[in-house]
Amino acid sequence: MSLRISILVAIVATVVNSGAFAAAAIGSAAPDFSLPDASGKTQTLSQYKGKTVVLEWNNPGCPFVQKHYSSGNIPKQQVDATAAGVVWLTINSGATGKQGHLDTQGAQAFIAQYHAAPSAYLFDGDGKVGHLYGAKTTPHMYIIDASGTLRYMGGIDSIPSTDKDDLAKATQYVPQALAELKAGKPVSIATSEPYGCGVKYGP
Amino acid sequence: MCKPFAVLPVVLHVMRIFAAAFASLLIVSVAHAAAVVDEHLEIELVSARSALAPGQTAWLGLRLKHAPQWHTYWINPGDSGLPTKLAWTLPAGYTAGDIAWPAPKRFDLGELTNFGYDGEALLPVPVNVPADAAIATRAHLAVEAKWLVCHEECIPGKATLTLDLPVAQTAADTPYRQLFAHARASQPQPAPWPAQARLAGDRIEIAVRGTNLPAAPRDGFAVQTRVVANAPPHIEMRHSELLLTFAKSDYFTALPKQFDLVLLDRNARSWLLHADSTEQPTAPNPHR
Repeated sequence: MSLRISILVAIVATVVNSGAFAAAAIGSAAPDFSLPDASGKTQTLSQYKGKTVVLEWNNPGCPFVQKHYSSGNIPKQQVDATAAGVVWLTINSGATGKQGHLDTQGAQAFIAQYHAAPSAYLFDGDGKVGHLYGAKTTPHMYIIDASGTLRYMGGIDSIPSTDKDDLAKATQYVPQALAELKAGKPVSIATSEPYGCGVKYGP
Repeated sequence: MCKPFAVLPVVLHVMRIFAAAFASLLIVSVAHAAAVVDEHLEIELVSARSALAPGQTAWLGLRLKHAPQWHTYWINPGDSGLPTKLAWTLPAGYTAGDIAWPAPKRFDLGELTNFGYDGEALLPVPVNVPADAAIATRAHLAVEAKWLVCHEECIPGKATLTLDLPVAQTAADTPYRQLFAHARASQPQPAPWPAQARLAGDRIEIAVRGTNLPAAPRDGFAVQTRVVANAPPHIEMRHSELLLTFAKSDYFTALPKQFDLVLLDRNARSWLLHADSTEQPTAPNPHR
């Protein structure tokens, strides 16, 4: 059974990489998943049906992620989104021994250090959920609407760099899409090329 | 594991910079300034010639010496990474051109593909010296370089590199001449063949026609991002055309009117192709 599952995951990963068909596609149902979080609970995507959910791929050791945390950009987006009733799930798909892999204490310390405010910090050490969504980089962002449909996938913003000075000039795609969803408008930029460090998947 | 952000490596290595500068002074007295020595990258502004000639183009370059297995990036970095960027501060009348990028190497990092350089590399830049530059004066040339150096992990860096060169009618080669010659040899030559790009379902085909097509093509690299996927293209001869077939990028919206790509052969010769797109995509991406 477990062999069959791992073969399935391998196939999904291959398909996502080939670009021929993505498991996670704009306008389609976002794939469901369950992952443990930093407070010891299990977070299941489908438990949030009826709410908008943001998925953020994270690696605290990645300089691109550090740009958006040490500047306060991502923490502010988390505070604003969750205050508006959005569920923000930060996901770490870094394998054991790779850069940015965290245990529960490490995740809590990371959140405290940057005054981050995700609804939960999730561990995906085997990379299953990362592959299911085709998460390539940290950060890599996804927005799922209240009906469970994927509405945004891509970069955190419009200027690929590690330089905080670029933030003011960049379009922040997640707050823009969240505001459009809230106003009942179509998401004007629903896909963008993500930039950052490669997700540190295991072998 | 958690590396300090941005300029910190530079600051941390001030001691080593001085050491490197001192060591360099013993070897060459002109045509380069202090190298910035980072843990994974040595970076230095160098000149091909020992002096600047009024009214001529001087070739300067960013010399990058990577630690084993580390790399920096080409103009199209691939699935992740960032191209090295330069911002010049030059004396009045001097102008710097764009980096004359040598053909890149392909780096496969698990599920991601990157394009860039490893080992010792040079990014040459042409600098126009004004005709009225006064002989026997010295020109102070400065460039702020920003780079991302990666192995499995990435570390951004930033440094201001400077070079003082005399203005003179005659000049000699510097010890970097070989490095410049090598960079020039690995620069894509303008391709003499017409090429066309077309969208074929989820693939993009580049057809190259003409005589004396490369006999042993090996790889292709797109200059523009978000057009083709970064996996190597399938290359074959078909009906006297050289056909490069790429998977379409996940972030593709439309074929650019002119799609630029570098074609590399097995002898490390490379050409810059400009593929015209005749067909417009049938429907725009509904998600953009």
